Amino acid sequence: MSKFDFDDEVRLALRREEPSSDFTNRVMARIQAMEPSPVVNKQRQQEKRREENNWRQKLADFFRPPAIKGAKWAMAGAMAIVLIAAIFGVTRYREHQAELQQQAELAANAEGQRAKEQVMLAMRIASSKLNVAQRKVKEAGQRDEGHPEAEHQ
Amino acid sequence: MRPMGIGVATLTQPDEVLARAKNGDQAAFAELVREHQAMVYSLARYFLRDAAIAEDVAQEVFIHLYQNLASIESPAHVKFWLRKVAGHRCIDCARRQKSQAVKSSVSLDDAPEPVSLFEMPDSMMRSTIRRFVSTLPEKPRLVVTLRYQEDLDPTEIAQILEMPLNTVKSHLRRSLTILREKVVRYLGEPTF
Repeated sequence: MSKFDFDDEVRLALRREEPSSDFTNRVMARIQAMEPSPVVNKQRQQEKRREENNWRQKLADFFRPPAIKGAKWAMAGAMAIVLIAAIFGVTRYREHQAELQQQAELAANAEGQRAKEQVMLAMRIASSKLNVAQRKVKEAGQRDEGHPEAEHQ
Repeated sequence: MRPMGIGVATLTQPDEVLARAKNGDQAAFAELVREHQAMVYSLARYFLRDAAIAEDVAQEVFIHLYQNLASIESPAHVKFWLRKVAGHRCIDCARRQKSQAVKSSVSLDDAPEPVSLFEMPDSMMRSTIRRFVSTLPEKPRLVVTLRYQEDLDPTEIAQILEMPLNTVKSHLRRSLTILREKVVRYLGEPTF
């Protein structure tokens, strides 16, 4: 059997066949038994959306400012000014914060210095008192060594 | 009697038919069905080996087309789309049938011979070929059906089945060899 002949036989064996005569009607009956066509549904949704858009468009038109010649450039200029002002403001704010922080550090340092001085003063006072006490103890010791009988009596 | 107002189509241009069907014209969609029903039904029938199941699958394919008409761009796209969806539906259906057969524990030996389902008068050779085509694995069976029923070249089949071209060619080559061997073994060496 040649390849060409066999190919032809397969082609003839698998030729198209028609389904039953009421096939189309049955397909259409099933379609009609379904929900409305997706195409129709889509059209309805589009119409609804268009109506909503119309309403929104009218509202937007109402609040839209009148068109001015060169408004685009004016808007761009205003945006640039706002941007520059914002950058300047941020820079100034940071500088101000840095100043405040420096002042706070200085105040904290001064407070520390004052506390240190007070501690030193207190220590000096305590030291002088100790000196007095030590001197008195020493004097009392010397007095006891010079008159031992007085101690026995 | 023609129910549901599906009249005889007076449309001639495929583009016009498609456009009208996309706009919700059911007569135009019926015309589309009539134009392509033999293609879809035959694909399903040669693949599934059962006329009733093939009609059900073909109906589902057309209903799916109706639901996706908005995405169809041209009459050629309709054909491509139908072949692709019919192929996928046939594979799904065959797998469902296989799993049901396993579940119901019916022996495959008890199943009727596929050849008995083809009732139209035909030569012994052709009915034998159809019988052996139906025993091929799913993908090669679909490749052979698209090649010989639809007369598509391997490139078109590769596009429809989203399969590498070389795989399609290899399926075709191997399937034809197997078919030829089986036919010769079954009928003997032909004398023509």
